[in-house]
Amino acid sequence: MLGPESAHSPNAEDLNALYWVMMVIGLLLIVAINAALIGLVVRYRRSRGAAAPRRLRSRRPIQVVAASALAGLALVLFVLGVIFTENAREVEASGPDGLQASSLLTAQRDIKPPGGEDTEPLTIQASGQQWIWRYEYPDGTFSYYELVVPVDTAVLVELNSTDVVHRWWVPGLGGKFDVVPDQQSGTWFKADEEGVYYGASYQFSGAAYAAMRTRVRVVTPTEYEAWLEQQATDIQDAQELVRRQLDERVDSPDNPPDDGESVDIDSSAPGGGGGPSQ
Amino acid sequence: MSAGPTIHPKRPEVVTDGVASSRPRWLEIATSGDHKDVGRMLIAGSLAFLALALIEFLLIRLQLAVPENTMIEPVTFNRLLSVMGVSLVVLFALPLVLGLYTYLVPLQIGARALAFPRLANLSTWLYIVGGAILYTSFVYTPPEAGINPLPPLSDTAFISNNGVDVWITAVGLSVLGFVLLAINLLVTLRRLRAPGLATRRLPPFAFSAGVSSWILLIAGPAMLAALVMLEMDRRFEGVFFDPGGGGAPTYWQHLSWIFMTGCYLLMVIPAAAAISEILPTFARKPLISRRAVNLSLAATGAIGLLAWMQNMLTASIPIGWLYFAMAAALLLIVPVGVLFVNWLATLASGAIELRAPMLFALAAISTLSIGLVAELFHAVIPVNWLLADTADATAATGYVVVGGPVLGGIAALHYWFPKLTGRFMGESLARFSLVAILIGAHLTLLPMFLAGLDGQQADVYKYFEDDLYADGVVGTFQSLDTYNLISSIGALVLVTGIVMSLVNAARSAGHGRRAGHDPWRGDTLEWLALSPPPPHNFDVVPDVRSDEPMRDIRDAVKRRHPPVPASRAKSGEPVA
Repeated sequence: MLGPESAHSPNAEDLNALYWVMMVIGLLLIVAINAALIGLVVRYRRSRGAAAPRRLRSRRPIQVVAASALAGLALVLFVLGVIFTENAREVEASGPDGLQASSLLTAQRDIKPPGGEDTEPLTIQASGQQWIWRYEYPDGTFSYYELVVPVDTAVLVELNSTDVVHRWWVPGLGGKFDVVPDQQSGTWFKADEEGVYYGASYQFSGAAYAAMRTRVRVVTPTEYEAWLEQQATDIQDAQELVRRQLDERVDSPDNPPDDGESVDIDSSAPGGGGGPSQ
Repeated sequence: MSAGPTIHPKRPEVVTDGVASSRPRWLEIATSGDHKDVGRMLIAGSLAFLALALIEFLLIRLQLAVPENTMIEPVTFNRLLSVMGVSLVVLFALPLVLGLYTYLVPLQIGARALAFPRLANLSTWLYIVGGAILYTSFVYTPPEAGINPLPPLSDTAFISNNGVDVWITAVGLSVLGFVLLAINLLVTLRRLRAPGLATRRLPPFAFSAGVSSWILLIAGPAMLAALVMLEMDRRFEGVFFDPGGGGAPTYWQHLSWIFMTGCYLLMVIPAAAAISEILPTFARKPLISRRAVNLSLAATGAIGLLAWMQNMLTASIPIGWLYFAMAAALLLIVPVGVLFVNWLATLASGAIELRAPMLFALAAISTLSIGLVAELFHAVIPVNWLLADTADATAATGYVVVGGPVLGGIAALHYWFPKLTGRFMGESLARFSLVAILIGAHLTLLPMFLAGLDGQQADVYKYFEDDLYADGVVGTFQSLDTYNLISSIGALVLVTGIVMSLVNAARSAGHGRRAGHDPWRGDTLEWLALSPPPPHNFDVVPDVRSDEPMRDIRDAVKRRHPPVPASRAKSGEPVA
């Protein structure tokens, strides 16, 4: 209850570990300050007959000792911060149970695909739009709201936005990152357990911001591939259906003939597709 | 007293006290260049906007008391939120601080006026008109782009109504006024100090006025520039922040965060300075090192502004810059920690008198300790990636708002109220108010830390029922209803407490117990003036020979007139 959600990805473990370090230091600081405050006030109350105050002036050693100790604390936290940040940025290779498709990479910025190797990382294009998340898989299949990925597999999430600034975060699977239009950013995770992980958008984005949620469904690699196929078929069926309906409308005498080719709801162009909540 | 060892020889004065004014009293105050009238207007204005912000805060907490509440429309909620954000920071916290500075700094440094009296009046009216423009927008369209209207959301493509333009105008006018006032205070502090009042002898509050003014002078124009650019983007086809046109929203983030970091510092530094004056007075013992305190206040301001990117650690910024931001934010531990050490060491072996100002100051220290430590979590990059923009961030800021401008502000108000009005604020109502504020603040904010860890977003108009997330692997978004209900109940208690203090101030201004001129036996020069001070503040400007001029004056009085009647010695007024 006092900590973040349990980590289910290596980078989330780094984040959580440092959180607990901070929690211990923070609680110690708060307790020390408040205990000293209450203790001193009780001890030196005038109504308790505290003696006439000594007019102690500058006690330089106190200042120097305090400042050095505090600077030491700041330095320790800075070093820890850098170490854990670097750890969290390092993309781990997929595990034995995962989809064998990724390798060591540096995430968050300047993500480079591994050169000269025969493996391709599982890269998901996540795009924020008011007020839904759209996920595009390597084979061009896409899904809204729910991201389906294989377990124990390093997944690069490349973030971009088609309208305003959003922020992507799924607790338990790492940190949160800004999603800015016309700017590439990204994060990664490697889920260690199958199941559903809920997340949301964490940047105020207008009227329906609170409803801009998302979820990640982690499945086995076989299920993942089956799902991809099913999703592709479903999308195709849906497009067929829409195209047929449009054709019927076009064929009716009220409308001029149309080639029917201009309708493409699979467009990944900015703003394309829209969302159910719009 | 004219020939006393620490008093400057009498100089010819033109005193206009007794001259009756031909204009009505309110017009006198509204057009006055007297720093005391200007200060009073700023303080009164800030407390009025605080009351309005509290109404919005209560409505927001009411909406969030239960999950999936439909009481307030999403857009209406966003409008309340946007207006509350400006009200609490730009219309309450900043002018309260600046009002106290404007009133007290000339008194503390032995000056008779501000350097530019009419400019001070203009500052106040820029602020009041700005605030009025914001609130009159409720009759047409209030702003709805959030606490920080980040483009492109705040651009006309997404919000085409006039709300954001109102926001820009209101913030722009107010900040312009504050920047002018900062210039005014800096020149006053530089040019109008009493003889002998070297920088090292400045009391912490007057010293912090210099620090705060420099912060405003740097952060204010950054915001004014950003506002002009945003308005050009919106109405004059500008592309400063437009990602499609070669601009960048990140640019707005930098500029606005420089300003908001400045605002944050202006909530902490003046409160810390006021605490540093109240503690020695009521522990009857000087600060163990005024030099260390003043240096820490200055360092907090300088390093704090450099840490503006601490609020952007999730942005796509080269990692080296993020480490720079983390380093600056963590370095703040040193000056802020030294402040706490000095406060505690000053209390040690004092003779502590628990009057209302002292109680509020102690509560402010306690509350600030929680808020600043919570903020420390956000300074560390990996932890920031967990906590940024969750309810945890709201709670951390909330603790600083309650500890700084609210508790610190009320402590300062209690402490200097006798100087402003010649009367005490009611002591027992103060105690009730303090207890309610403390209970209310913890009830409101502690559950928000937990809700943030559970994934609740900041600034949302609703959250969903637990069972929606029942099949999740991790327990995110669970028990949000409990946390939010407790928080909403706490909000009611918190607001009741603050309103009690506002009522206390309003009642005591006319009906409070008479305080005399030097009720707390403070060691700074403002207690030499009458309460309330005459237009020219001092009949004689004293020579300052030490850190505690009032102490010297009292000693001198005692030496020259050993059997002074208690009432006259206490009044502290020159008795030549």
